[in-house]
Amino acid sequence: MLSSDRALTVAIDIGGTFTDVTLRNAVTGQAWTAKTPSVPSDPSQAFVAGMRLALAQAGAGADEIGQVLHGTTVATNLILEGKGAVTALITTAGFRHVLDIGRQDIPRRANLYAWRKPRRPVPASRIFEVTERILPGGHVLTPLDEASVAEAAEACRALGVAAVAVCLLHSFANPAHERRVAEMLRAALPGVAVTASIDVLPVVREYERSLATILNASVMPAVATYVGRLADRLVAEGVTSPLLLMQSNGGVAGTATIRRAPAVTALSGPAAGVVGARAVAQAAGIADIITVDIGGTSADICLIAGGRIGLTQSGRVGEWPLPLPMVDMVTVGAGGGSIARISDGALSVGPASAGAEPGPACYGRGGAFTTVTDAHVVLGHLPPSLLGGAMQLDPLAAEAAIRREVAEPLGLDLHAAARGILAIADSNMVGAVRVVSVERGHDPRAFTLVPFGGAGPLHGVALAEMLGIGQVLIPPAPGVLCAQGLLAADLKAEFNRTLPAAGVPDAAAANALVAALQAEARDWFAQEQVPPAAQRLEAVALMRYEGQGGELAVPWTGTAEAAVAAFADAHQALYGFTMAAPVELVTLRVEATGLMPAPAADLVPPAPPPEPVAVRAVHFAGGTRSTPVLARASLGAGTRLDGPVIVTQLDATTLVPPGWSAEMLESGSLLLRNQKQGLLF
Amino acid sequence: MKTCDPVTLEIIRGAIRAAQAEMEALLERTAISAFIREKKDFYTALFDAEGVMAVGSNVPIFGDICGPVFAHFPIETIQPGDLYWYNDCYGSNGAVSHSNDQVFLAPVFHEGRRCAFVMGWAHFSDIGGLRPGSISPDATDIFQEGIIIPPTKLIDRGVTNAATLEIFYRNSRYPATCRGDTRALMASVDLGVRRMQEIAVRFSPDVLADALRQLLLRTETLVRQKLRETFPVGTHRFTDAIDSDGHGTGPLHIRFALTRTSDDRFIFDASETDDQAPGPVNYLMNRDVPGTAFALYFLGGDPSQVVNAGGARAFDEIILREGSLLRPRFPAPLGMRGMTMMRVLATLNGLINVAGTPAPAAHAAYVILLIRGTADGKPFLLSDGLGVGYGARPDADGIDSVYFVAQENYPVEFLELGYPVVLNAYAVHRDSGGPGSYRGGCGVVREYTILAEQSVLAVRIDSVVNPPWGAAGGLSGGVARAVVNPGRPDERVLPPLSDGNILRRGDVLRIETGGGGGRGHPFDRDPQDVLRDVLEGYVSIEAAQTQYGVVLREQRVDDAATDQLRRERPAASAFHRKGALDALV
Repeated sequence: MLSSDRALTVAIDIGGTFTDVTLRNAVTGQAWTAKTPSVPSDPSQAFVAGMRLALAQAGAGADEIGQVLHGTTVATNLILEGKGAVTALITTAGFRHVLDIGRQDIPRRANLYAWRKPRRPVPASRIFEVTERILPGGHVLTPLDEASVAEAAEACRALGVAAVAVCLLHSFANPAHERRVAEMLRAALPGVAVTASIDVLPVVREYERSLATILNASVMPAVATYVGRLADRLVAEGVTSPLLLMQSNGGVAGTATIRRAPAVTALSGPAAGVVGARAVAQAAGIADIITVDIGGTSADICLIAGGRIGLTQSGRVGEWPLPLPMVDMVTVGAGGGSIARISDGALSVGPASAGAEPGPACYGRGGAFTTVTDAHVVLGHLPPSLLGGAMQLDPLAAEAAIRREVAEPLGLDLHAAARGILAIADSNMVGAVRVVSVERGHDPRAFTLVPFGGAGPLHGVALAEMLGIGQVLIPPAPGVLCAQGLLAADLKAEFNRTLPAAGVPDAAAANALVAALQAEARDWFAQEQVPPAAQRLEAVALMRYEGQGGELAVPWTGTAEAAVAAFADAHQALYGFTMAAPVELVTLRVEATGLMPAPAADLVPPAPPPEPVAVRAVHFAGGTRSTPVLARASLGAGTRLDGPVIVTQLDATTLVPPGWSAEMLESGSLLLRNQKQGLLF
Repeated sequence: MKTCDPVTLEIIRGAIRAAQAEMEALLERTAISAFIREKKDFYTALFDAEGVMAVGSNVPIFGDICGPVFAHFPIETIQPGDLYWYNDCYGSNGAVSHSNDQVFLAPVFHEGRRCAFVMGWAHFSDIGGLRPGSISPDATDIFQEGIIIPPTKLIDRGVTNAATLEIFYRNSRYPATCRGDTRALMASVDLGVRRMQEIAVRFSPDVLADALRQLLLRTETLVRQKLRETFPVGTHRFTDAIDSDGHGTGPLHIRFALTRTSDDRFIFDASETDDQAPGPVNYLMNRDVPGTAFALYFLGGDPSQVVNAGGARAFDEIILREGSLLRPRFPAPLGMRGMTMMRVLATLNGLINVAGTPAPAAHAAYVILLIRGTADGKPFLLSDGLGVGYGARPDADGIDSVYFVAQENYPVEFLELGYPVVLNAYAVHRDSGGPGSYRGGCGVVREYTILAEQSVLAVRIDSVVNPPWGAAGGLSGGVARAVVNPGRPDERVLPPLSDGNILRRGDVLRIETGGGGGRGHPFDRDPQDVLRDVLEGYVSIEAAQTQYGVVLREQRVDDAATDQLRRERPAASAFHRKGALDALV
């Protein structure tokens, strides 16, 4: 871990276009940043180039680096684009179509006449059965027939697969067969990545577990190559400190963990943003926030109560359920590129997106679609150029598109049509905010909204008004919050055990199981070299009323009575009722956290009152207002502004409408407040 | 009165959809029966201030839900805090079509003004009756299918009629499950009421009312327009049939005639459908169903449109005949109406096809089975639903191995943890998809070894005698069967629609479900697609050759042999069921 002679932490976030590097002295809080073009063919090149740039700025040597933090989207992109390694699945005899059948449903919101079943990531022609059978509780009904495993291995070899997933029925209750199959495959297929389901997701439900195992296996070769290259390059640069990677659960973990279960990085990007938003809010003294990360095609929404980031195991990546622990966030297809269109008289915005090429009409690249960004341009929210002048916008193209696609068909004037597009996009996001807040028993009005991503600060106030939220916090650099998240993340891992049979909790047995899980967690701490003072363990019980399908997580403090009482409280808060039925304990979990030293704060000094860089006409619902445009960099701590005002910076534009004020905080964030009283919904 | 602009309309539609999703999530997470939480047999809907369905579900089986309540409790007497409840099929003109489905309906008020109604609907796994599970092929009247709840005011301005609930629970073989599911459904409706109140506050009741009116009008206009595009002036007829009622009657024909008059009136006539049956396959079809089903078809995959009562309004007249399979007389049994309902949907596909617009071929009806018995001294009830193949479409293969909209299977591991069975196989039913240039979807195979000492099996399978028809040169889908101890000396094939089948410890029950009909001549299917189907276990090598004219050698297409074979091209027919047919009338 960090010591004063190796006080530098480097955080590297690799994006599609640029690689952002932040170097920070953990003792003094001083920070340096560098930006270098990404190298998609070998991201580790940009990684090292950026690190060198930052070290040169700091005048420091590689040997002063005590920690390397990294967020990678290698696994994410492979899964979303379906470009993972060619993978085979080994399954129990009789269940070759486990993926094809799936949950046997036409989705609830789908139309049975139009719906097509998505192609599975592994076709049945690459799924091979082995003769074996384990029953609930782990009893062996049919011993493993090793000849059938040899045949399956041969079939895998003949197809030339690069990865194999092994998922056998009830393996979470008895992993012996799965372990033996994996061992035989590794021996028979050198160089092929082999994943057993128990190493990824040891929980009931074979379809979801098979999918998770497959996704893990398919990204394993690329992630292993990538991580290996990074480690080699770091050694070559003289960096001897550990490399830590961001996981979907908002924590970081070492390379050994990531190589074994690379799928845990599937949502690392959005998770890093959420952790960054929490850090920014904490620096401003705010613990209860709702984060809204608005990009080009979608918005990710997450709620943090009391500084705690909630986790879920019912998340999805793209089309597929991926029940690995991940930050509990909701994604909606609403972003800057979301397309507004009219079909059979109904106006809709998204989920289709114009993407970056040709992009919104205002990009002037021939895009014919009308998008959310075009609406911002027409209303005067966005300056005529973006990215410090690197990108010019074409307001006339935006105007023409909105007139043609929305205003004229609906008989609205131009500005009303543009406001309508934004209102629908905002409304979609509000729906997602309600899912993470109201649906989870939280009143959004008690939270501060933290919008980020390139388009976040344009929508923040509108969303807050629709939700009745009175405060909006704009991070110092809303477009690059991931690096912030890396610097603020702790080491995290979860250790789960599903009980052989759910039942009324037996405290003695549960405590023994918790002790075993804690021992596993301590082994992990040792592997990750976490010093004792930084180790935190929390025991959690997943409970339900007898017969229910889903569990609620409550703290396990050692007695059944306390857990049952906590469960009843949680059920009342979440669903509005309790029952006299027996309460069952299903799973125990130990959450392990290795606290990382909090980086010292980087404070903004006061500055003289800022001068507007421009004054623009902005079309608000209440009328057109002449609106000053200020540069974010010119704002000193304590500066107070009254809306309407627009604050611009390289990576984002903040819109402060009439009735709202903005205050520059010492932490560098901009705090917007609703000045209107009694108007809250 | 204030009107709703197009932007607000979309926002309100989104807010209602979100409220529906939230109600569904709550029900799924808190319900006790596997039928609701794992199989997910539940729906929600939202109605305007007069009780007209404005936002429904993507399942076209709902009729006029509110009318039956208003008949007993005049709408002007309905108060804030009320909750209404029924499962009375005959008392609701088929708004509910078997007694297991419970409807909970609550009004939404804002400042004393009624703005909307909210519905929660779920299938309860046992409400008494002849056999566990309440639905049984043996039933001969509806009193054998569980307790009947007429439209009832369960909560009167916040005060619950607890005695009614206790009577209901006492009538179930699984009262604790029944109690938990009731509680969950009530909480879900309560949540929906709160959400709708918030929407009324946010947008004003006037704007909300206008939004719901526009949603209805939009669907009605769209369906009318599509009906005109689809059906030329004249009468279009199509007939399909279910095999049997399980009591010796069958096949039972469903005969539809759709007439468009020269002045563009649309008349739907089902009166020539066969007489009602002694067995429980009668489907008390609400008059809103045909229009709603057409609406679902015409709306297609457009996510910005909603299924609602507007579809039913697009028809000017619906003619049903009292005493027929689709309008049975009280107290004819209804429990197994699902197979008839699925055949009704296939008959509607047929009407569109005969009118000259390419539409899907026929699907199989999903299969249900109930195994009841005692294991380790405790009674158990396993109600399993099995996926089937859907009909090939004009632009795509039929959907393989799905049950129906929204309803999921019991995972193998889940099933084995909860019930005394071991599954030997759960796979795609090879060669069950009707051959065609677009292949019909394949059914599934599910094979159980029974661990309980003794249990009683009910099974519901249709389309064995009359397999799902193929269209435009495509062939009919494969048939289903239920067999005990296949390949053993004591092998026995079960009657497809039967109850009282005794299963003993160690018996193997194998169910193979049916596939959808094909569309287009099978010889026009790309040989590479046929090869893929073979490699993935959907089509056998033999069928590739005999049905599709594709010769495979060592996992490759033998082009020369295939060309040779495909020269001898069998004649195509407009429809196909076991043999070529020019029409199904």
